[in-house]
Amino acid sequence: MKVAVIQFPGSNCDQDAVWALRLVGLQAELVWHTEKSLEGFQAVLLPGGFSYGDYLRAGALAKFSPVMEEVRRLAERGYPVVGICNGFQVLTEAGLLPGALLANTNLHFTCKDVFLRVERTDLPFTNGYQPGQVLKIPIAHGEGRYYADAQTLERLEQNRQVVFRYVPSPSSPAEEGGGFNPNGSLNDIAGIVNERGNVLGMMPHPERAVEDALGSTDGRPFFSSLKRALGVVA
Amino acid sequence: MKYHVTLLIELKDGILDPQGRAVESILQGLQFKAQNVRVGRVLEMEVEAGSEAEASAVAHNIGKALANPVMEVFVVEAVKELV
Repeated sequence: MKVAVIQFPGSNCDQDAVWALRLVGLQAELVWHTEKSLEGFQAVLLPGGFSYGDYLRAGALAKFSPVMEEVRRLAERGYPVVGICNGFQVLTEAGLLPGALLANTNLHFTCKDVFLRVERTDLPFTNGYQPGQVLKIPIAHGEGRYYADAQTLERLEQNRQVVFRYVPSPSSPAEEGGGFNPNGSLNDIAGIVNERGNVLGMMPHPERAVEDALGSTDGRPFFSSLKRALGVVA
Repeated sequence: MKYHVTLLIELKDGILDPQGRAVESILQGLQFKAQNVRVGRVLEMEVEAGSEAEASAVAHNIGKALANPVMEVFVVEAVKELV
């Protein structure tokens, strides 16, 4: 069971993603964005970074990369597809996930730990978490303000497509009242999944929270969940 | 024939534009009476086409390919034949 980690020109979390996948015992390989086939891969990860320098809009040019046709095909066939940070932006630009990611309300590129509540644990990416579990995972983005029109937002909530939501730090509830939402995302959305439940996008970086040395290991179950979902026996 | 095309892409009305807000507050600081500032993007390009109408249609298709309909709108601002 192999996971393809797509490298666009300007991706910079690709090696970290490979590291995290291998850490839990998955096979992972880097795949250059001009590849036209993902034959032999059972899952895809679009990593963080600045594909095409974020020119035009974050993710706007990467959606035209040749490999995206194949990513779309795998997504349609029900294979797990994950987009982290810039990967999430690519997935929304490509129309594989609803909504869009706009400039953070405060216009700052924000790099810090945030707290997320796991809203669903019945997905290939979250089966290793407890319902309502709060995770400490870092973010690093300038365009992470999740936006969708009112109807889309309502549909997302009704279908339980919101997977991760920004919440106040459990140790400093003083943040209650909105300060915990780092970018102005509607409904405090940090990550969503498509209706079918196989395509997930999130702004925070679980691959940067897989070892004690990184300050948190809360991202590790994200990858081990995927391993379980893919039926890999350690 | 070659045509020079100007394409304007901007955020839809009602979507918060923090860049526009930042520019607005600077303009007000400079005593300009400017409100509701929005920041968009202008793309200029040359396209090959048989007529101005065709060039305009090409520009429209380019706008559709490049603008994100979730949060943006685009306008073909100008199509001018190059001599």
